[in-house]
Amino acid sequence: MSSSQTKVKWPILVGGLAVVGALVLVLASGFGIDPKYIPTATVGHEAATFRLKDLQGNVIDFESLRGRPVVLNFWSTWCGPCKMEHPVLQNEPQHYPDVTFLGALYSDEADAARRFLASSRGGRPLALPYPTLVDPDGRLALDYGVSGVPETYFINRDGRIVHKHIAPIDPPTLLACIELARAQGEVAPQAVAACDPERAR
Amino acid sequence: MNPFSISMLGRGLVLIALLLATTGSFAGYLAGSRRDRRAWLYARNAAYGFSASMIGANLLMIYALVTKDFSVKYVTQVGSLATPPLISVVSLWSSLEGSILFWGGILGVYVALTVWSLGEKHKEFAPWALHVLLAISVFFAFLIASVADPFHYVPNPPMDGPGPNPLLQNHWLMAVHPPMLYLGYVGMSVPFSLICAALLAGRFESGWMGPVRNWMLIPWTFLSFGIMLGGWWSYAVLGWGGAWAWDPVENASFHPWLTGTAFLHSAMVLQRRGRMRDWTLVLGMATFLLTLLGTFMTRSGVFNSVHSFTQSSIGPVFLVFIAVVFLYSVLLLAFRSHLLDEEAEQVAQSIGTRGGGGGRSILSREIAIAVQNVLFAMFAFTVLLGTLFPLIVEWTQGRQLSVGEPYFDRWGLPLGLGITFMMGVGPALPWGRHDPAAATRRLGPAVVVGIVFAGFWGALGYTKPFTLLALFTIGFALWANLHEFVEPVWARMKARQEPMHLAMSRVFVRARRRFGGHTAHYGVLFAVFALALTKGYRAEKDFTMTVGETVDFDSYQVTYAGYENVDEGFRTAEVANFHVVRNGREVGTFGPRMNHYPTQMQPIVTPAIHERPTGDLYFSLIDIGTNNGGQKVVVRMIHQPYQMWLWFSAPIIALGTLISLWPERERGRSASRSPAPHVVAGSAK
Repeated sequence: MSSSQTKVKWPILVGGLAVVGALVLVLASGFGIDPKYIPTATVGHEAATFRLKDLQGNVIDFESLRGRPVVLNFWSTWCGPCKMEHPVLQNEPQHYPDVTFLGALYSDEADAARRFLASSRGGRPLALPYPTLVDPDGRLALDYGVSGVPETYFINRDGRIVHKHIAPIDPPTLLACIELARAQGEVAPQAVAACDPERAR
Repeated sequence: MNPFSISMLGRGLVLIALLLATTGSFAGYLAGSRRDRRAWLYARNAAYGFSASMIGANLLMIYALVTKDFSVKYVTQVGSLATPPLISVVSLWSSLEGSILFWGGILGVYVALTVWSLGEKHKEFAPWALHVLLAISVFFAFLIASVADPFHYVPNPPMDGPGPNPLLQNHWLMAVHPPMLYLGYVGMSVPFSLICAALLAGRFESGWMGPVRNWMLIPWTFLSFGIMLGGWWSYAVLGWGGAWAWDPVENASFHPWLTGTAFLHSAMVLQRRGRMRDWTLVLGMATFLLTLLGTFMTRSGVFNSVHSFTQSSIGPVFLVFIAVVFLYSVLLLAFRSHLLDEEAEQVAQSIGTRGGGGGRSILSREIAIAVQNVLFAMFAFTVLLGTLFPLIVEWTQGRQLSVGEPYFDRWGLPLGLGITFMMGVGPALPWGRHDPAAATRRLGPAVVVGIVFAGFWGALGYTKPFTLLALFTIGFALWANLHEFVEPVWARMKARQEPMHLAMSRVFVRARRRFGGHTAHYGVLFAVFALALTKGYRAEKDFTMTVGETVDFDSYQVTYAGYENVDEGFRTAEVANFHVVRNGREVGTFGPRMNHYPTQMQPIVTPAIHERPTGDLYFSLIDIGTNNGGQKVVVRMIHQPYQMWLWFSAPIIALGTLISLWPERERGRSASRSPAPHVVAGSAK
């Protein structure tokens, strides 16, 4: 560098430093935010009641389920990720005898779902240990605010939706969210964090 | 672990690259400050070594992706046995770590080309340039070796992986759009380094501005291409019938394009008139900083966008880097730019002129460029503010907010039209002279052509005020630029009795750089034309149709022919076929579809487009009605007038760049490499 007595262009220095500082602060403030997080309007509110037939033709009335936590899973036969979570939903319900599990068919034909559940993959039957509701005009999905499949809703004993899980569910998340649905009164922040880290934040 | 595994070899190459970049940058500093030739030779060799290691690491990763080597972490993230080889190659940039590695590879290419092009010329600047460029390389090599390590060894490799992001597999443009943008983004580090070199050396004359401007022109062209291809991809894949949504990441690529374009023009003023020096340097540095900001936006997970990757630890590291580069730029400008002023003063005194010679004149080209530069800077600031505003509000008030199209359109429209207008004014005015009569003689016919052009389209029914204003500026600028070529050809034909083709080729050869600039202007005008008409006259309507039903839309009769299920191996698709007739003539069958990928929760709506020069017919499925076996579909039809012309803009801009950059013959070279071009006071053009 050629030597020369130091002359400083103060406007550039002061203006530049101010812009650097402001920009870094604004950008740094964004860390930890999940910009894709959209709070679901139905969560925290009373779950919509329904009276619908399942794939076997039995009528299921939401009112009759009150007093027990409910896990309501929306799925369809054309959805790949639903198939990924299928083994979890086949095996896990047996560990939660106090919880009612329900499936709901989303934008799919009842016949296709019956065929799917009656079939097997690699020698393993695909039947679910709980009934699947048929939602012919998609009203149930609309009432719950379903944005895609798979989505799993957790409803507490009072009939209030405590959480909606988007994407395939895994056993630890299922357990954490069932704990949330089982809880009565104030819920510990750790319990919320285990089921819904974004809300906890 | 096998010492010859891809993980080990890849990590080894990245570490070698890191070592070479670090030592090379230091050697560049020594070579610059002590004029040490050995240090300079080492810096050059280290730069080539860095390039070779980075390119080698990229090739190794491609090999791992194609051979499905699941012992490499990145392959377990984006690889899948079902993925075809070409898509495996493309998945190099489909996820975070791979895209940073790809970035490093492109940086390697640029570093090698910079060293090669500088050769033994510009000895005062070249070591400093290499010092800065390799310091930037240190950061990226460090990133790849640490938080974004794609070569991490997986001791128990899975049998198969999830495959790349479905959006990447959905259209061939995804093989081209990201590399083009990366070539634009990464390349901006070269002009930045060259500008820093001038400040570090404390000198700016001796034709240094030529390489700086050329090195800006190359990534700027790639950026233009990348932006246009991104628009095309969005139009052809996302199904909403538009090319630009003012998405934060789209904006992120637009910021450096705006400042880079302004730089390319102000650099001419600096070269020819010796003015706008600080401003030009600020623009050049800001362009690189804005590309870093753009990268941060895609990689940090802070912004919501179709482009964003998930949150990662790269964000904070990258922010620190942005802060360091920004701070370094500010300090360099504040403490070193006075040396360039003093040098320019000395040069001016030695030849008896001051400040580039000639008085200030309102109707000169440099003033037109200054006005245009202010408009560009305002545009960049407006878009940047709109992009960052949601973050500011969330930070200060804790509520979510999004800044949408109305804001960007409200400001973008007048600023864009102002810039288009200045694109016509600038070339018509002489350098350094205030000659109202000449200006009127040149601009008068351009105004008439603008009015006739707008009148023509107005007569065809395009009568909305802003559309007409846009069409006027297009006609105006088109004529003003064409005239700059036609006038000298005409003058030669008259004065020397040359035939037209000879006069044209001579004018082309003599004013090649200028002609290249005008060609790039034509490309921009194509884009403005398409945007003016599609924005103002887009028509869309949703139809619920049963099989066999025919509806009228625009000038088309569309019949729903039925639904089919297609299995393409790596995806399945529901396709609704529409039979199209126009004025009694068969047009064809178009099949918009919903693609289902095994790992994707939602189907991906993929439109079908009938493209014509006068407008596209665009089909996008809303609901295929699987409940009733596809008997009934809901489809959105869109008519996009003159959309196709937008896609022509980037190749024309690239052609203009190629014309400008084409190596000159020695005779021309000596003329354009004069020591201080701006001291040729009062030269008209």
